[in-house]
Amino acid sequence: MSIIEVHNLSRTYKFYRKEPGFVGSMKSFFARNIEHARAVDGISFSMEEGELVGFLGPNGAGKTTTLKMLTGLIEPTSGTASVLGHIPHRREKQYQKQFSLVMGQKNQLWEDLPAYDAFLLNKAIYELPDKEFKDQFEELVEVLDVGKILNVQTRKLSLGQRLKCELIAALLHNPKVLFLDEPTIGLDVVAQKNIREFIKKYNRERNTTVLLTSHYMEDIKELCERIIIINKGKIIYDGSLDKLVKKYAPHKRLTVTFNKEGVGREILSRFGKLKYLGPHRSIISVLRKDAPSVAASLLSAGLPVDDILIDEPDVNEVIRHIFEKAS
Amino acid sequence: MHKYLALIRANWQRALTYRSTILGYRVGEIAEMLFILVLWTSVYSASGENVLRGFTLREMITYFLIGNLFNMVVRSFASERIANDIKHGRLSTYLVRPISYLAANFMRQFASLATLISVITQLILITLFFLPVIIFNTDALYLGIIALMAIFAFVIEFMISYLVGLIAFWTDETDGISSSIDRIKRIFSGGLFPISFLPEVFAQISFLLPFGYSLFVPAQLYLKKMDISTGLYGIFVQAVWIVILYGIIAFVWKRGLKRYESVGI
Repeated sequence: MSIIEVHNLSRTYKFYRKEPGFVGSMKSFFARNIEHARAVDGISFSMEEGELVGFLGPNGAGKTTTLKMLTGLIEPTSGTASVLGHIPHRREKQYQKQFSLVMGQKNQLWEDLPAYDAFLLNKAIYELPDKEFKDQFEELVEVLDVGKILNVQTRKLSLGQRLKCELIAALLHNPKVLFLDEPTIGLDVVAQKNIREFIKKYNRERNTTVLLTSHYMEDIKELCERIIIINKGKIIYDGSLDKLVKKYAPHKRLTVTFNKEGVGREILSRFGKLKYLGPHRSIISVLRKDAPSVAASLLSAGLPVDDILIDEPDVNEVIRHIFEKAS
Repeated sequence: MHKYLALIRANWQRALTYRSTILGYRVGEIAEMLFILVLWTSVYSASGENVLRGFTLREMITYFLIGNLFNMVVRSFASERIANDIKHGRLSTYLVRPISYLAANFMRQFASLATLISVITQLILITLFFLPVIIFNTDALYLGIIALMAIFAFVIEFMISYLVGLIAFWTDETDGISSSIDRIKRIFSGGLFPISFLPEVFAQISFLLPFGYSLFVPAQLYLKKMDISTGLYGIFVQAVWIVILYGIIAFVWKRGLKRYESVGI
């Protein structure tokens, strides 16, 4: 059975629209225009145990709303969600003890207290036995290398250190499902990499099911074999990252390096769509199936070619393309 | 350790973290208390009377010292914290965990009693100053009822403050409402002057409101200006208020959560 099952899930927000100015305020006081916004619109997907799925979409696409429904913070307007066999919005203790939500933008630790006190508090909240707590705690502290900062008030920690502590607090009860909402936001490159590697390793070793949202493509590229792209409340892609590129990017990139002075726009445009023109290096975009033949004709055209590199377009670009097309 | 005991412990540590804040509060409170006592002393001397509305000067000084001690034990500052949790979405971190937000906050309130050490020190200092004029009551029955009233008042003050904080579900900020309630509370609790200085009808209203039990009633009991049966009746009124407030909190919480859900996505 799947760990997470989402079927036709929708969430509508009701809001009032007010005409500007005083007269508008008076009007809306007596008769309000109720409008509905569909934040999530009939999405369905499922996740198996141990899967690490990246949830991708522009701002306002419905990622966070979906996470909120899966963690029980809000109730779906229609459709069903079930995680570990529980209906999240019932907020059953049995369910709450089996998952964790980490939000990169929100402190869960009390900022006035050192992290260690927060861990002890979580131990009590999740009713963990001493041994289980100790084992898990010691392992996490060692892996994340935070032994030296456990006695410092968390508000005095750097963002990276704080996030590590947040992760420990979230993992002490060894959750079966981990929801990560932009876990690496605001971190420097090194800290991002550390966190990414930790998440990857943890997911493999513990077989924890992880659903992660992120704006950083690096996170998604490094971590997720499967991604779900959501836009305007609807899932527009669910599958592997490789297939996404093949499906949505019918073109390949030919990076051509010349060994003398470069070749002009006019000549290069004959081979394909010119993406970049440089003095020595230019990029041409050609249809996937044409790539080998175009490369061959470039070499045989008598141009001063030093090197040709054929590769996939940048994932960022592909995704941006999808978002732009969808909106 | 049980989860709510752990919460008390953690909050206890947190409450003691900011020594300068705790001491900072004390400075202003001592100054205000001394000012009130000086004010009443001069009111008595200016009026030329020994007894004002049934209070001698000694009784008046004792009224403020005892009443304020009582009030400092039971008062609650939960509302601002709760409003902030709602406004900044920190409430979510409670909602996804196996823990009750109401209980967690009550434990925090309870833990803030840790700072009482400084409050009591403060009162001892003032008391020493006024030692010759203070009236002592060692009647165990009266003190017992006052203690019981303190427990109930502690719960009520917390509930009112919690409820004011929950208004943030609708308004985001509760400073205005909170400040107005504080002022009304101060008048009806007898914190500015004994309610018996007002026309009789105010005293009667005050008996039915929960505020008087946070200062006026226990101080009157201490001075034996009220008898035991009035005290017991007061405890009954408090118990009714706890039930009413709990009902309102449950209702507001449920409605508020519906509202909270649709915010800030």
